[in-house]
Amino acid sequence: MTSARDPQLLKGVLSLLLLQLLAEQESYGYQVVQRLHEIGLGDILEGTVYPALSRLEREGRVSARLVSSNAGPARKYYRLTDAGYDALATGTASWASLADVVSSVLNRPIPAEPIQGS
Amino acid sequence: MPHTMTLLDRMRIERLVWALDQRLYDLPRQSRIAKRREVRENLRAATIDVGTTTALRNLGNSRQLAAEYRVAEFGDEARPSWITAALFFLTGSLFFTAFLGEAASAFGDGIKAVNPNATGTFTWTGIRYLQDTVTYTFADGKGSSVGGAWTPLAWLLWVVATVLVGRLWRVASVWRRRRTRHSA
Repeated sequence: MTSARDPQLLKGVLSLLLLQLLAEQESYGYQVVQRLHEIGLGDILEGTVYPALSRLEREGRVSARLVSSNAGPARKYYRLTDAGYDALATGTASWASLADVVSSVLNRPIPAEPIQGS
Repeated sequence: MPHTMTLLDRMRIERLVWALDQRLYDLPRQSRIAKRREVRENLRAATIDVGTTTALRNLGNSRQLAAEYRVAEFGDEARPSWITAALFFLTGSLFFTAFLGEAASAFGDGIKAVNPNATGTFTWTGIRYLQDTVTYTFADGKGSSVGGAWTPLAWLLWVVATVLVGRLWRVASVWRRRRTRHSA
């Protein structure tokens, strides 16, 4: 199911998602987009994903290789480097810690009236 | 159901790739070519999957995409635009030179209009501050001219305008950041 999400929120975790997806399976740009859509992130557009992949490559977190395709020219497949695996582990721990804190706050019951300031 | 790619689809894809490429001139050549190829190939894959119209819509406009690629390549730091500076300097100087040439030849035409058989030396001080003195030498209505070039002040103003248009003052901060990064 796809629902409207804050694009800035998604953008913040996009790199982490890309690292995880590429750790699971070597993929080319459009394939990554399709996989994001399959997991329910249909509102992430190609125009956001391709530059993010490019940035990960520049940062040395993913490497790319050209694989010839039956459908036309060679496709650029991305896979994680050692630095990418490190970044994924660090990012996942950081996200889990942040999500715990945010969830614990957001799951508190909301009183009928906000407590008055003294 | 997979879509079949027509010639029109290919042309629409090429148009987007071309527009993107025009906006990526600040990137290193190899990087620009790699991005062009990758976007083209991904668009073709998307076209077969969802059709060209949806594929192009999902990619977004070339201006935004190029901006994202530039940030991906160089980071969020403000950067100078060498290509804009070079284009401004060359095309602008071409137009300005033509303008000064026209001004000088208008002076010569004026002399001939007053006296079609003019003979002698005629001097015009040129456009104030921007152009050197123009001297026409006429013999029986046939003349030749010397001078009319840019003054040092005109060159200085042009260089300053180029720096402003290309935001070249950012070069200093880019170098500073690079030096800090290398020494870290």
